[in-house]
Amino acid sequence: MLAHVPSATLLGVEGHPVTVEVHVSNGLPCFTVVGQPDASCREARDRVRAALLSSGLRWPDRRITVNLAPTGLRKAGSGLDLAIALALLEADKQVPKGSLVGLGPLGELGLDGSLRGVSGVLPLVDVMDAAVPLVPVDNLAEALLVRSDSRAVRTLREVYEAIKGLAPWPRVDPRAELSAEIGDEPDLSEVHGHVVARMALEVAAAGGHHLLMAGPPGAGKTMLAERLPGLLPDLDERCAMDVSRVHSAAATLRAEQGLMRRPPFRSPHHTASLVALVGGGSSVLRPGEVSLASGGVLFLDELGEFPAAHLDALRQPLEAGVMRVARANSNVTLPARFLLVAATNPCPCGVGRWGDCRCSPSQLARYDRRLSSPLLDRFDIRIEVDPPDANTAFARCHAGESSAIVRHRVTAARLRASVRGVTSNRELRGDALERHAALRPEARELLRERLESGALTMRGAQRVRALALTLQDLDEVDGPLALSSVEQALVLRSPGDASRPGR
Amino acid sequence: MSAASPRSDRTDLPHEAHLILLASLDGVGPARLRWLLSLGSPPEVWRAVAAGTLPPPPMGSGITTGLARQWRAQAASMDPVAAWDCCARLGIGVVSLGGAGYPPVLADDRDPPVVLFHLGDPDVLGAPRVAIIGTRRATGYGVRTAQMLGRELAEAGVAVVSGLALGIDAAAHRGATSALPGRGGAGPVAVVGGGLDAPCPVRNRRLADEVVRTGVVLSEVPPGVAAAPWRFPVRNRILAALGEVVVVVESAAAGGSMHTVREALERNRPVLAVPGPVDSLASEGTNQLLSEGAHPCLRTEDVLMALGHSTQSTGGGSSSPSGVVAPPADTGTQRRDARPEPTGDAALVLEALGWRPTSPERLATLSGLAFRPLSAALAELERLGWVTSSGGWVERVARGIPAPRPPDA
Repeated sequence: MLAHVPSATLLGVEGHPVTVEVHVSNGLPCFTVVGQPDASCREARDRVRAALLSSGLRWPDRRITVNLAPTGLRKAGSGLDLAIALALLEADKQVPKGSLVGLGPLGELGLDGSLRGVSGVLPLVDVMDAAVPLVPVDNLAEALLVRSDSRAVRTLREVYEAIKGLAPWPRVDPRAELSAEIGDEPDLSEVHGHVVARMALEVAAAGGHHLLMAGPPGAGKTMLAERLPGLLPDLDERCAMDVSRVHSAAATLRAEQGLMRRPPFRSPHHTASLVALVGGGSSVLRPGEVSLASGGVLFLDELGEFPAAHLDALRQPLEAGVMRVARANSNVTLPARFLLVAATNPCPCGVGRWGDCRCSPSQLARYDRRLSSPLLDRFDIRIEVDPPDANTAFARCHAGESSAIVRHRVTAARLRASVRGVTSNRELRGDALERHAALRPEARELLRERLESGALTMRGAQRVRALALTLQDLDEVDGPLALSSVEQALVLRSPGDASRPGR
Repeated sequence: MSAASPRSDRTDLPHEAHLILLASLDGVGPARLRWLLSLGSPPEVWRAVAAGTLPPPPMGSGITTGLARQWRAQAASMDPVAAWDCCARLGIGVVSLGGAGYPPVLADDRDPPVVLFHLGDPDVLGAPRVAIIGTRRATGYGVRTAQMLGRELAEAGVAVVSGLALGIDAAAHRGATSALPGRGGAGPVAVVGGGLDAPCPVRNRRLADEVVRTGVVLSEVPPGVAAAPWRFPVRNRILAALGEVVVVVESAAAGGSMHTVREALERNRPVLAVPGPVDSLASEGTNQLLSEGAHPCLRTEDVLMALGHSTQSTGGGSSSPSGVVAPPADTGTQRRDARPEPTGDAALVLEALGWRPTSPERLATLSGLAFRPLSAALAELERLGWVTSSGGWVERVARGIPAPRPPDA
């Protein structure tokens, strides 16, 4: 007897429809799974068998063949357990033929017949070729984000009884109400002083400019970086869906809060492996930190401590906005459009102040070499962050604007940028930059001087123009770039790449 | 000359060829080389080394039987003809003490190098010479000052002597080489610690080429011998011997520069020091020298004046005071007055800046200005020549000295 049930499997962050075919025939009792299952998928046999028996159902002592079609696609994980079990029931005539039509089962079986949640339900349910996705209770909120007709079940027995008409389909409410509260984002109003750094954050948020902060330990670099997502506007519908998919695939989505409307913040440690950073993995292709930060902020603390290979791997996503992971048997493209914020100590000893640094020249050269990769070129904004002095730390009057106020300006500035046909000013290059960021004569003169003195490179001058444009957007000023905008941009982009004076 | 091996049987081979080999042996510095040469002529000593028949070394020389064995093994793979041809091929000149072309100023020294290698034009040693020395870990202030001194001294016809190390050395040479094109200044002199085939450090390679082009690079170490750390202090005595005046721009309280200063004082060379901030580690040594009675070097004229005295008191040597052209004395004052006083926010920021490199953020805190007026003030100050900014730091400029260009710009 043959039965087939639609389900889906995950590759990277994309769902792919899969048809589970089960054939039960006479012969020596055996159970084979074909169609490129990975190890955990092949183990389905033992889980399905125990679950059937625990649920008071029969395990046919016959020749059982499970085929996962299309065969060319590698199937990973335990999400196909329920589909295999149901198809087996139909093939073994324990449920009437045709009773499974329209159902798209998804979920991992426990040995006691209970259903466990799996990762990536959002993209899986999205592509499933069935009228009613059937998901474990844990995944209901996530499934409802894309398919409002999703049905949640707790155990295999429940499904069996509902199909047989012995009991109604169970009614399960999603865990919590859908809400997109900002709630736990740290607020900019808690930052005292940091006049330049605050402006840098605002400009980074408004223009999508990558930001590099150098400063001694305790200067507040991490504290500032954490506040950047709070300045970014809410994600639009498409972006929210893309971001939610990635987080669903990585099992980091908090589905009870609905689609991810707020930009994510990821701060991988410098000891993270290359695969953890950019995505990949031998059996399951998982999205890396660059993809999890997509739509939001990727914060690399201690940039100089990251291995050179890791930093090199960041160049593709920075350039293309996607991460392509190629493996022998699969090739996936993961979204990776993030705002890069990096922090670094000025030197290995961390002091970096004029004359107080105790690092040897060779140590400094090594440190500089690490950072002087082409990656450093991508940071439009490079600032020095100082620890605030005692007066500022306790001064009430310095308590600055809240994130909400700044976010309002940022949103308006982004709107101006979108009129130019780009999502942020960072993406303006060449002709487009020439056209949108024309210079007033005084401003042109200033840039010419800096170019002539060698303080700025041609590329640097281009980035300064993009920054100045963002600054004008924030001030809601139109027209050619004014001298003052270029002056401000020059403060935000310190020329040269050394964060120590005189070297 | 009876041949030790058939290959060295060349009649035109000068005795320097064997000297090169002896100086190339592991761990051989001036003292051990002198001992070796006290045993006979270079070819004879070389044969003794190769045959392992050296007499027992004097006590305290540190030459162990193990080291002698090592030399013997090394000698088996070395050939005087090849060494000599190698120098010729690289364009490296070789002179030995007492031979023709050996610089007279070194010949008169208390501890002259037995053999000297040079790349470039050794005639620049005929000009008056000033050694500019200092720490490798220089601050922007030190780099700027060294570069200014290097340039202005070269323009005045003084050969700037330094060690081609990072920091002050490189800045001084960079200043000296920048003065040359078309201005008829003196060429720079560099004394390095390793072989001339591979100038060290690598980061200064381009600068080294520039020095070779406009002046001369000297070493007492044969090509192919790496610059072991112990060779640098040994090299410092040559710097002290060559400089008729020694200027320390920046130095920590202990370090290679202070060693050079001791060598200079032992040779009765005037030592000048550039004063620096009292809380800067990089100026600790120079400020200490000043408090111990060294002459302060506040401008190039101070060095030229000291040079005039020293050339008179030592009776001239190869240099003549008349060869020194003093720059117009009022250059500095004119520059100082040329800068318009800043007003308003700019004055506020300049006051907050002080004399240390400071980040814009700190300036905002100190001056109480918001971002926009601060950036306007900084741009204004930079336009007027009061500050320079590099690498995220703002630094005050003294006396309107033009800021040095970044080396790789």
